[in-house]
Amino acid sequence: MKYMLSFTVNGAPADVAVGPTETLLDVLRDRLGFTGAKRGCETGDCGACTVLVDGRSVRSCITLALTVQGKAVTTVEGLARDGKPHPLQQAFHDHGASQCGFCTPGMIVSLAELLEKNPEPCRDDARAAIAGNLCRCTGYVKIIDAAMAAARSPHKKGGPA
Amino acid sequence: MASSRILPEFELLLPQNIKEAVSALGKLKSKASVMAGGTDVVISCTKGFGSPNVISLAEIPGLDYVVYDSKKGLRIGAMATLQQVADNADVKKRYPALQRACAINGTPQTRNMGTVVGNIMRASPSGDCICAVLAIGGKIVLQGPKGKREVNIDDFYLKYRETACKADELAIEIKLPAISAKNAFARMTRTTLDLSKVNVACSLVMSGKTVKEARVAVGAVAPTTIRLKKVEAILKGSQITDEVLQKVVATVPTEIKPIDDVRSTAEYRRDVAGVMVKRIILEALGK
Ligand SMILES: Cc1cc2nc3c(=O)[nH]c(=O)nc-3n(C[C@H](O)[C@H](O)[C@H](O)COP(=O)(O)OP(=O)(O)OC[C@H]3O[C@@H](n4cnc5c(N)ncnc54)[C@H](O)[C@@H]3O)c2cc1C
Ligand code: FES
Ligand code: FES
Repeated sequence: MKYMLSFTVNGAPADVAVGPTETLLDVLRDRLGFTGAKRGCETGDCGACTVLVDGRSVRSCITLALTVQGKAVTTVEGLARDGKPHPLQQAFHDHGASQCGFCTPGMIVSLAELLEKNPEPCRDDARAAIAGNLCRCTGYVKIIDAAMAAARSPHKKGGPA
Repeated sequence: MASSRILPEFELLLPQNIKEAVSALGKLKSKASVMAGGTDVVISCTKGFGSPNVISLAEIPGLDYVVYDSKKGLRIGAMATLQQVADNADVKKRYPALQRACAINGTPQTRNMGTVVGNIMRASPSGDCICAVLAIGGKIVLQGPKGKREVNIDDFYLKYRETACKADELAIEIKLPAISAKNAFARMTRTTLDLSKVNVACSLVMSGKTVKEARVAVGAVAPTTIRLKKVEAILKGSQITDEVLQKVVATVPTEIKPIDDVRSTAEYRRDVAGVMVKRIILEALGK
């Protein structure tokens, strides 16, 4: 049995018929084509699938799609403003904070939530914000450098919808 | 395009109020799991070892409260998240043990999703909120077809992953007493993401330098989180001297039954639990 899920993704309304067993990650990637959120562990451990639901970061792999009825979902694709990358996206690029890039969308979404809550984080705040995002490539230092650079950016309030 | 995942079968119910939830659960009983934040339930279901029905509390309005009253104490609704409780000013001030258990629980995302009541109901012997609430004391408010009842946390955990909550009941809230007791929580993990290999919490009512009442809880060292009754007896009526603390450290291993598992060994847990209890007593007293 399928049910109609009506919500917004990156500000645009979406209506999808989904089954009770489908996760938000399934719907975003396989139905709506938002492949920014990555399918890593599917057990809530790695953070690759992190998206915002009503401004709070969650694990889309362990969120049943039908529980976000009427809510606003933001994926990494929705962070850019007026054709310009989000300050975090720019800073990841400038600081070499992505290598294979698999963890990057989740990292950026987790850090976007941090900057919304705390516009002047210290390095430890940034570390705590990505405590649930695993990276197998960078060793994290450049990710924290990028987060701090984005926090200093005058455009940081470009943030999530 | 269809999902790339092979999906196990289960049905999802989204009741709009508690009455609907209780009535659905009354019909399905053990064929249904109640879902709050889903950080545990969804993993079981998508891996194919969950219940055939999931009753989500997500669409029931007004269950995400955290309210403190100086006479009645603290009430935490079934949908209040770990992050909400960790950020609450009254919890920070009066229940630092619970605040800590929430603030270190999992990851920022699982704290935004997971609930305190879900942590209590999951009944894992390593559950961090369970340890804090067992030390502070509290009641779980259950609702079933015949109405509401309250179960003291001391009587709630029956055996490994089994609670006094019946198959046709769901938890509405937990209540913590208004206390002046000094309380603290600590846990030991390999990484921040891990579940506790040992967690400890204590709550001490002081009269000057003397302990008037003591509750000490420890998790991941027995089939359920347990209170250390012998340690509590040593503390009660004593001043916290080095001698008393040494006695506590020596007594803890006699009250626990740890096992070897993926997270640690019985031997290590036995050794470290006593030291952790000592440290948590000193922390609670601000030493
Ligand atoms: C990555 C990760 C890290 C984690 N880290 C920790 C950790 O550090 N410490 C820790 O203690 N736990 C941890 N957990 C386990 C879990 O996330 C927490 O215990 C969380 O608090 C569970 O809450 P929930 O609302 O998500 O529960 P759910 O998954 O919704 O439910 C958990 C259990 O409780 C039952 N239940 C929930 N609400 C009710 C209710 N109102 N009435 C009756 N039954 C109910 C469900 O049926 C289920 O059996 C972690 C989990 C993940 C995925
Ligand atoms: S894919 Fe969701 S946490 Fe790893
Ligand atoms: S850049 Fe490869 S996992 Fe982080």
